[in-house]
Amino acid sequence: MRVIPDETRVIHHPRGGDQSGLRTRGQDARRPQQPTAGAGTRSVGLERFLLLLCLLTGALSHGYHLFLYPLYITDEGIYMQQAWSVLRETRLSPYTYYYDHAPAGWLVIAAWVSVLPHQFETFGNAINTGRVLMLLVHLVSVFLLFHIARRLSGSLIAALVATFLFNLSPLAVYYQRQVLLDNLMVFWVLLSLYLATSDDRRILTPLLSGLALGISVVTKENAIFFVPVIGYLLYNQVRQRRNYRFALGFWLFTSGAIISLYFLYAVLKNELVPSHLNFNLNQPPADHVALLYTIWQQLHRSQGSMLDPHSLFWTFSLDAWLPKDTFLLAGGMVATLLNLVQGLRDRKRHRGQLVVALLATSYAFYLVRGSVMLEFYVVPLVPFLALNIGLLVARILHLVPGRRWLFVLSAFVQSLMLVCFFTVLLLPTGGYLLVRDEFGKVVPHDLYKLPLTPLQEQQLAFIRAHIPPTAHIIMDEDLWVQLHDVRPYYPLAHSHWKAASDPAVRDKLFARNWQNIDYIVLSNKMLSAMQQNNGDGSENYILEALQHARPIWQLTRGDISLAIYQVQK
Amino acid sequence: MSLDPIVQAVSHAFGGLLLAGAVTLSLLLTIQSVYTLYIMLYTWDRPEAYRRAKAPARFRPPQKSFTVMLPARHEEEVIQTTIERVVRARYPLSLLEVAVICSADDTGTIAKAQQRIAQLRGRGVENVRVITFNNRPINKPHGLNVGLRSTQNEVVTIFDAEDDIHPDIFNVVNTVMLGEQASVVQCGVQLMNYQSRWYSALNVLEYFFWFKSRLHYHARLGMTPLGGNTVFFTRAVLKRVGGWDEQDLTEDADIGIRISCLGEAIRVVYDDRYVTREETPPTLGQFIKQRSRWSQGFLQTLLKGEWKRLPTLGQRLLALYTLGFPIAQAALGLYMLVSLLMMFTLKMPVPVAIALYLPFYLLAAHFTLTVIGLYEFTAAHGLKPSWKTPLVMALGYLPYQWVLAYASVRATARQLRGINNWEKTQHIGAHRQAEPLEATSSPTHGGRDARHSR
Repeated sequence: MRVIPDETRVIHHPRGGDQSGLRTRGQDARRPQQPTAGAGTRSVGLERFLLLLCLLTGALSHGYHLFLYPLYITDEGIYMQQAWSVLRETRLSPYTYYYDHAPAGWLVIAAWVSVLPHQFETFGNAINTGRVLMLLVHLVSVFLLFHIARRLSGSLIAALVATFLFNLSPLAVYYQRQVLLDNLMVFWVLLSLYLATSDDRRILTPLLSGLALGISVVTKENAIFFVPVIGYLLYNQVRQRRNYRFALGFWLFTSGAIISLYFLYAVLKNELVPSHLNFNLNQPPADHVALLYTIWQQLHRSQGSMLDPHSLFWTFSLDAWLPKDTFLLAGGMVATLLNLVQGLRDRKRHRGQLVVALLATSYAFYLVRGSVMLEFYVVPLVPFLALNIGLLVARILHLVPGRRWLFVLSAFVQSLMLVCFFTVLLLPTGGYLLVRDEFGKVVPHDLYKLPLTPLQEQQLAFIRAHIPPTAHIIMDEDLWVQLHDVRPYYPLAHSHWKAASDPAVRDKLFARNWQNIDYIVLSNKMLSAMQQNNGDGSENYILEALQHARPIWQLTRGDISLAIYQVQK
Repeated sequence: MSLDPIVQAVSHAFGGLLLAGAVTLSLLLTIQSVYTLYIMLYTWDRPEAYRRAKAPARFRPPQKSFTVMLPARHEEEVIQTTIERVVRARYPLSLLEVAVICSADDTGTIAKAQQRIAQLRGRGVENVRVITFNNRPINKPHGLNVGLRSTQNEVVTIFDAEDDIHPDIFNVVNTVMLGEQASVVQCGVQLMNYQSRWYSALNVLEYFFWFKSRLHYHARLGMTPLGGNTVFFTRAVLKRVGGWDEQDLTEDADIGIRISCLGEAIRVVYDDRYVTREETPPTLGQFIKQRSRWSQGFLQTLLKGEWKRLPTLGQRLLALYTLGFPIAQAALGLYMLVSLLMMFTLKMPVPVAIALYLPFYLLAAHFTLTVIGLYEFTAAHGLKPSWKTPLVMALGYLPYQWVLAYASVRATARQLRGINNWEKTQHIGAHRQAEPLEATSSPTHGGRDARHSR
């Protein structure tokens, strides 16, 4: 009979093993020292204090100025619009749902909105209401990230550094404030990791980890890239336990079951496969949408891999991501590489480093491989780059000698180094909190001072004051819920995306005729989006309407430009 | 006036009601299935429950005296081996009393038993005898009551005629009873011949999960339907509870619930090394009869209502759930057919259809659990399953559920028609075929890895 010892080999360390939170070299990762009761209490107290500090920092960095910056973007409008459809129409979309995204994200948003007293308008407008959910999700994610870092490294330093970056990196704050499926997906992935790193030896915990992972995939499909790494982590976490078969089996089962619901939905709608099994990408099936066709299409879309200097990867990296936070991206990549090397050299001893490096690498692979990309696709990379930096910084600081009587001195030196690290990032040198403006004056970062969304509110106010609700309007999605959920309703206001691609809007409502359009509400960069989206000429009639229109309202501030055009017939 | 609108309205309303009923049933079955899965996994999920379930690592010196009752009917094939195994147990013979209990008309079994008793006497073993009874009903609980009155040792235990007991089982119970002052100890019973028939693996794994996990959950809540053998009672507790109910087809579960009503703690020990080995019923017909008897016995116990005397609401709900389970099983079988039919014939909103699918997801979870259980079971007993076994399980899984549902329906029908006879399960010793009697200390039984402490 094969005897399975009831022992768990964990890749993290007991809380008490880190007496001050600033673990010293003497406290080897694999042989945590037994602390005294008092030291254990101090350690737990310090951990709780630091966690609270991190949560408070996250609440301030993300909550302050939340409704004012950044601008409401198209995708925020889309998800709020689809949540609106769930609540008001019990459908997944007010338009034809063609499986471009799995629906769990906006189902969660809809659930959130449904419990609020004034639903979509509780916090002023629909996107603000969604942003409050993002704030809450961020705070829970901070809690999860803190514990994941702590468990994977056994170090409070790693947890502190990772959450600091996750809370204050301008790249993180900018996108994490927005209503994005990616933020919700990150939350579910972190929850799955948090449960997978638990050492309570129960089956229920891996089962819930699988459940969270499954939800993450049906929130945003690219979470699938994290699945192998979390599977690897869990396997190593449970394989020495007597219940490992059930733990792994049910982790797989629950994640698979949740993902299968997406396919079941398509089967029930008779939308799993295209008619006549037509997967020809040049001739999309015309009679009904199909999940497998959309997946097939998405797998074959490419806008250039990392090897193509003109690809979106480089465009976003150089124009949008690196200017927001060079340190997180460059430092994170270097840390990932170092963690990966160290983890591969000694997997048993540095399992935590290997896992965080693999998490970042697997998602980075998704980004560089050259699929269609949007600017905010960097979001899921942020926590894992932060984790890599956190674990690396912790290892570096643990090089400070600190045995016995040197312990206090060591802790002081480590704390000092940590404070210096944070200060450098917060000051204009790092640009996390303070920056120098064009006059060389030290000012807060735009994230905390620049009000942008009031410009969009002025645009909305103008529509309500000057455009009749019966008008046929082409606009962007960011205004959609406001015009459909707040009286007077504008039932004929549709986004240019749907007016160009959804047959029900394009062919039936507008009949592809520019003269059927009364107004065009141009949001920031909408014109260029229409031109880019016009590969098949589907936006032509809208662009033609624009040529026959005259501006009746315009507002330009910096590189932001909003306008409303009335079509002259 | 055309009747069409009225017919349409009635049909629409009927369809709506049908859907609402199906969704409600689906949700109830989903909750029930989740709960069942949880209690099947209880000891694997709860490390402390697993530790508590294990047999003691060291044995105390033998102190308790045991009466071993072997109720048997038409067990000519297996009774001699069973007697032999009991007397060969690693426990002083002076502390054992063995009684083979038969109805007087079962001359075949009596003859075989007496033949072996004579051989034993020749070897100086004097503590085995046959007890017979004449009056009705001829069933196991009646025999047990007769045996109880005719024996004397402090602890009374029951083994079925086909049981292969572990030689250290009395040491295990002696140690637990002395150490924990337990008045009832239920030890593990395990079907072994998982590759004999298409349904064998699924049947074996039901036992595996019941004894290894679910019973521990029951014991923690203080509502334990006991098993029919390898259960040990102090004579005092049996007298207090008034022996077995001779009209109940599951007298074992019934007595467990009645003892639970007395507030007596029941200790459940499951250790793969010390399980009593049994066999699955040899034919599907036998299997259906056995399962019908159990389902009917549970219904009888439910209807008797003694479970209502359990002290806490939680215990009463658990009793209601456990004893009413055959009804849920029948409902599940029926549900699977009806919902499949509805899915293909009725047009319904997608969320409703998804709700109807939920029990199927739970069924898939149950199947996953069972397949993993197969590997747990075989690893625990040093066996190596063939690659075909999971395949056979997959193919047989739904038919097995329908067989269970059919047995539940049959049991309900028998109960409603007042048919209460004991349908005996045939035993052929399939679990013994590969194992000579002498191999009592095989590694899978743990050998002498547990020792008497001094």
